[in-house]
Amino acid sequence: MEITKLKTNKFKTNLCALFITVPLLKETVTKNALLVSVLRRGTENLKSQEDISKRLEEMYGAGFNCGVDKIGNYHILKFFLETIDNSYTLEKENILQQGIDLLLEIVFKPLLENGAFKKEYVRQEKDNLIKILQSRQDNKAMYAKERCIEEMFEGEPYSLYKYGELDKIEEINEKSLYEYYKSLINNSKIDLFISGENIDGIELPDIKSSKLQEIKINHVSHSKIKVVKENLDVTQGKLIIGLNTPENDKIATSIYNTILGGGANSKLFQNVREKASLAYSAGSAYIRRQNTILIQTGIEINNYDKTLEIIKKQLQEMKNGNITKEEFVAAKTLIMSSVNLIPESEEDMIAYYFDQRLFDENLTVTEYYNKLKEVTMEQVIDVAKKISVDTIYFLKRED
Amino acid sequence: MEIIQNDQIKEKVYIDILDNGMKIIIIPKENTEKKYIIWGTKFGSIDNHFIEPKTGKEIKVPDGVAHYLEHKMFEQENGVDSLYKLMSLGLDANAYTTNDHTAYLFGGTNNFYEGLDELMDYVQHPYFTDENVEKERGIIGQEIGRYDDEPTWKLYVNMMDCLYTNNPIKLDIAGTVESISQITKETLYSCYNTFYHPSNMIMCISGNFNPEQILEEVKKRLLPREKIGEIKRIYPPYENKINKKIKEQKMDVNIPLFITGFRDILENENKVKKQIAIEIILNSLIGKSSKIYQEMYNEGLLMSPLDFDHEFSDEYSHIIISGQSENPEKVNEKIVNVLINSEIRNEDFWRSKRALYGEYLSEYDDVETIGRMFLQDSIRGINSLEYIDVFKNIDLQYVNRIKKEIFKEDMSALSIVRK
Repeated sequence: MEITKLKTNKFKTNLCALFITVPLLKETVTKNALLVSVLRRGTENLKSQEDISKRLEEMYGAGFNCGVDKIGNYHILKFFLETIDNSYTLEKENILQQGIDLLLEIVFKPLLENGAFKKEYVRQEKDNLIKILQSRQDNKAMYAKERCIEEMFEGEPYSLYKYGELDKIEEINEKSLYEYYKSLINNSKIDLFISGENIDGIELPDIKSSKLQEIKINHVSHSKIKVVKENLDVTQGKLIIGLNTPENDKIATSIYNTILGGGANSKLFQNVREKASLAYSAGSAYIRRQNTILIQTGIEINNYDKTLEIIKKQLQEMKNGNITKEEFVAAKTLIMSSVNLIPESEEDMIAYYFDQRLFDENLTVTEYYNKLKEVTMEQVIDVAKKISVDTIYFLKRED
Repeated sequence: MEIIQNDQIKEKVYIDILDNGMKIIIIPKENTEKKYIIWGTKFGSIDNHFIEPKTGKEIKVPDGVAHYLEHKMFEQENGVDSLYKLMSLGLDANAYTTNDHTAYLFGGTNNFYEGLDELMDYVQHPYFTDENVEKERGIIGQEIGRYDDEPTWKLYVNMMDCLYTNNPIKLDIAGTVESISQITKETLYSCYNTFYHPSNMIMCISGNFNPEQILEEVKKRLLPREKIGEIKRIYPPYENKINKKIKEQKMDVNIPLFITGFRDILENENKVKKQIAIEIILNSLIGKSSKIYQEMYNEGLLMSPLDFDHEFSDEYSHIIISGQSENPEKVNEKIVNVLINSEIRNEDFWRSKRALYGEYLSEYDDVETIGRMFLQDSIRGINSLEYIDVFKNIDLQYVNRIKKEIFKEDMSALSIVRK
């Protein structure tokens, strides 16, 4: 296990995070999602969720959280445990050590029954996963975003939904899942991050971590823009546009994205919302490890053409170099301050360093900040010229 | 300045009431780079009927005006959009409107004083014209439209309709497309002049500050304002019973959503103490570690823990318990039953109390959480640090008494959204 300690005196709490990183694959994505939820059900010593919850409450309401995420072509199984710092305990307890021990117990000492996971737990978590996958459409904005990604990366790993696929759940049972778990634990990259003030004296067991095989992004972009329209029971149309961004120049691309759709100063916010009053929300998000920007806005359904035209015009303006110095400086300042804020949140700090490790970049927050500072307007315009629209997705009501 | 100190969690809070009546709360945090300020006024969606202090005239305003006013505050006479300006300074700026207050805020590591200039300038300089008020109607219309597609929002609004008959908490904060069509610049000025008076406002600041120094910085940016008398808000009479037992709405959701609500009409209790007792009750009886939650989870009735909230002001008080289930009626029956008929055991009481201590302590990790918490509590007349003090002295007997008095069958209601 690769251990990273992030020492900071800014917080009254400690955060421990354990990440298991595996390739994002059709064959295993569903198993990973199910596995995480089975592990949180019980351990050798704390046999039920009720026991785990009681233990967490005794530890001054320590927070435990787990889930799955995708970053580029990797699937990450995440486990978090937050405790208060030892100096604030009422009876001078070593609550951080207890927290780490519990986190490791949940991941590495699951409750077993006849050499497999507990049958009942696996069955219940299968049912829950089915419900999660069936209710994907409940959050329309999120659903539209995920659908755009699915269409844009059809046939590529990133199109996979992080919770997996419905028709793969049935075939999994407590035995096959346990076999899969054993191979996962023995052959995956495992990272443990600990942040907080008094983190020196902790004891950690020796756990094996394997090297991750690098999987590069290899997106075949749509030479002709792919347009997908889908009907659902919505009052407001959700328009999502996927852009291809270059593999290199990621820092300049992040500034490009901020000028385009990062907050109230952006071209999208100003032109779609403030000038044309077409939307309440209009912005874009940069999925850095996937070389993608997603533009997102909620509009009246019959304003589709009008909105699309305004958005395309903004993209063209940026290609033509029509970015004012003011826009450039504002975007750079905004993004530099968000980098400055990374050490102000334990979660953000851990997420930042984990990502840096994963992609072998290893820049400290300060180093990253300095690189950002050096980016010029020319570099951003250069990026703008390389950016293309790949997929347009529109979620609307039936006509 | 009044100084309140808590040695257990090692925090000091500085409070001052200025000559113009404005309250300032400063919570210094030495080791952090991030600075945060939030400036709130006690003017929310429920304040739609009042007597204008200047003229003595009784005024009724269209629903959604507090929120509309919040949107329009950013526009300046010189054409500058203050939100734009704050973001250009690298500050994360925003504003929001709730039932009982409106707040303007920003946070960041650099340019704090430039941000303070802008914030205090725009909040003190309203600029409403027929054109700029008109322009906002489309944007807010889309914001309302977004809520229409939000099942959890409908679920909540329906619960308020169950719990109250005439209380303005039933209204949508943003109003309706119909109600906002009646808002004019005159409406906005009348509300601004009444509610955006320093005596009706509270400012909270957290970060690495010297309290005296930052207080002076704020004072010198405040404009003189004529004193106004007390603002008289007119609300419908306090209601002692619920309006409807159940409300159901059809929406496109796969698994039904529900809220079980309880009206709380218990008066003359210490607000903080009551609030802590309610948190202990809910956690012990239906929280993550409770027997009943485990049972419902195993039966497939629930797939994640229930969320709780106790919302209150002088005009309303209720508890909402929300979740997602294939069979919301059954979950509702079970939780209402356990809340009414079970006593809290000593062991669960002790554990819940420890958990609460950790929870309160963690609130002091981030200047933004601190600022928001102090503002929101202060709007309701509470100093947030009281929670840590009162919490120590709460006993099981008190908790069980509160439980018996609040959780009653005829005070409960159910809201469901399903296909």
